[in-house]
Amino acid sequence: MKITLLIRSCMMTVAVLLLVACNREAPQTDPYDQSKMDLSPTPATLSDKRHQGAFAEGDALSMGTELKPLDPAPIKTIRLDTTHKIIEIAPGVKFSAWTFGDQVPGPTIRARVGDKIKFSMSNRSDEPVPGVQLTAAPMMHSMDFHAAMVSPQDKYRSIAPGQTIEFEFTLNYPGIFMYHCGTPMILEHIASGMYGALVVEPRDGYPTKVDREYVIIQSEFYAKPDPSGRKVDAAPLYVLDSDRLRASQPTHIVFNGAHNGMVKHPLPAKPGERVRLHVLNVGPSKTSSFHVVGTIFDRVWIEGNPDNQFRGMQTVLLGSSNSAVVEFVIPEEGSYIMVDHHFANASQGAIGLISTTAEAQEKDIEHHNIPASATPTEPDAAQGKLDFESKCLACHSVGGGNKVGPDIAGVTKRRSDAWLARWLKEPEKMLETDADAKAMLKEYNNLPMPNQNLSDKEIGRYIKYFHWIDAQPAGTAKYAEAH
Amino acid sequence: MSTLAKPLAGLMLALCCTTALACGHCVEDKIAAVYDHASVMQALDRKHHIAFFAIDGRLTLVDGASRGLETLAESAVGVDKGSARASAESAALAVAFDPKRTSFAAVQKTLERKFAGKKLTLQPLRIMDKPAQMKAVELR
Repeated sequence: MKITLLIRSCMMTVAVLLLVACNREAPQTDPYDQSKMDLSPTPATLSDKRHQGAFAEGDALSMGTELKPLDPAPIKTIRLDTTHKIIEIAPGVKFSAWTFGDQVPGPTIRARVGDKIKFSMSNRSDEPVPGVQLTAAPMMHSMDFHAAMVSPQDKYRSIAPGQTIEFEFTLNYPGIFMYHCGTPMILEHIASGMYGALVVEPRDGYPTKVDREYVIIQSEFYAKPDPSGRKVDAAPLYVLDSDRLRASQPTHIVFNGAHNGMVKHPLPAKPGERVRLHVLNVGPSKTSSFHVVGTIFDRVWIEGNPDNQFRGMQTVLLGSSNSAVVEFVIPEEGSYIMVDHHFANASQGAIGLISTTAEAQEKDIEHHNIPASATPTEPDAAQGKLDFESKCLACHSVGGGNKVGPDIAGVTKRRSDAWLARWLKEPEKMLETDADAKAMLKEYNNLPMPNQNLSDKEIGRYIKYFHWIDAQPAGTAKYAEAH
Repeated sequence: MSTLAKPLAGLMLALCCTTALACGHCVEDKIAAVYDHASVMQALDRKHHIAFFAIDGRLTLVDGASRGLETLAESAVGVDKGSARASAESAALAVAFDPKRTSFAAVQKTLERKFAGKKLTLQPLRIMDKPAQMKAVELR
């Protein structure tokens, strides 16, 4: 009896001690304790020794959409040189761009909190580009890392062609941070392609495990045919349209530098897999309502920081230079559509697919060399093709089957020119009065075709292009590998 | 009092210098606004130098304002014709000159006199005498 009492009293004592221990507040460590942050970087150095060879170097760089695993080295040595080159932002739209690392967007840097970035950049905008000699005049450039806590006057100063700047900084906060050229006019430098992402993992890594990681960067292009009529491989050269830029009226809104790029080359994922997208909207002037059709975002980390967590979100709103990690599960076989749910933006190219039937790319997609499809020789039809690829390809295929809207192949055999002209001019009025239009709306999930405010001349070009398609041998005008 | 005078004067000078560029634009940003690579390379090929200035004062931001400043700068003795680049938006000026015929100090003095007529003052920023090299200006 006495022994039993003794055991009971011992157990009670242990229980009380445990309770006391549990109630005592565990010492909290602030991961953002600024007294422990490295806020004393060394001054930048400037020289007239330009880099040779590759325009981008560093083990922490991912050159394409797929994000490479973290390089464990605590010091990341990164080189991103500036260049001027011609890139293809949409089929037939060869744009005079300015770049970091000779690509748009620039390579993605991956690191983690506490890592040091040792960065160097040569301004090589004056170097001749092999082949095409149509790039913009050399000019001064700079680098502004949103991930860094440094003096802009020291680290982000503009350098002239031939100069090299070197500086270093420590990553203190996790997130997806934009980098961009900060040389005036900054708007023009960003709109010409000088941006990219720096992904900073939390010091102890992300709290979840995923099967796939991709980087999605949304941006705008403001392009117009070169006023002096220069051409690249017989196609018009496109240059920055400063008027549209200042009025915030982009001609293309894209993911990862290419209009509908990830429609033609969907990102692979398998049913049941968990996907993490690192999404950055670089703007420079539009917001993004990022959404993936067919999924719900299980977790959203605003600005890419797991401390800023939301659960069960449908859409994430990103202003210019805002970012988010979104994670979701692929529920079943299918193509899941990444889209800016501000559909005016989506119709300008901000659309892409994650598909369970897509094959992994053997190497990073080189979106600057999109293979050209067959092209009409008649000028109006050729322009109609360019317009179609710019404004319609997100929802319609040519010979690739129905998508959000019907396949365009054979449309001139199904509809009269007059019907097509009315439909393209005023689709909303046709939906009120025309039986065929009403039936089509029902067939396509009640998703109405937006009024693109086309002129009669533009409509005429579209119809000429549609006739050209239907005059080709079956399959040769096909333009929609995605479906 | 006299022991405080020098540090105080130094502090005042430092504050004044900071104020001159306290608009958020770095020196290099102003240079970038008027840096014309073709013009720079042409001047350097002829062993001429390029001087970059910040402009202080009320600038009229209308079409042709920059061209007006360039014309004014090129009317200064010693400045190469066709070499001036001005940005009214960024308040900056670049000119090329032949160091064998004139000095930077002389060019600066002449330009300052010209711009004073428009109630504008100039602050020298950098001089280029070789490609990819920008040198600090020794103040007169």
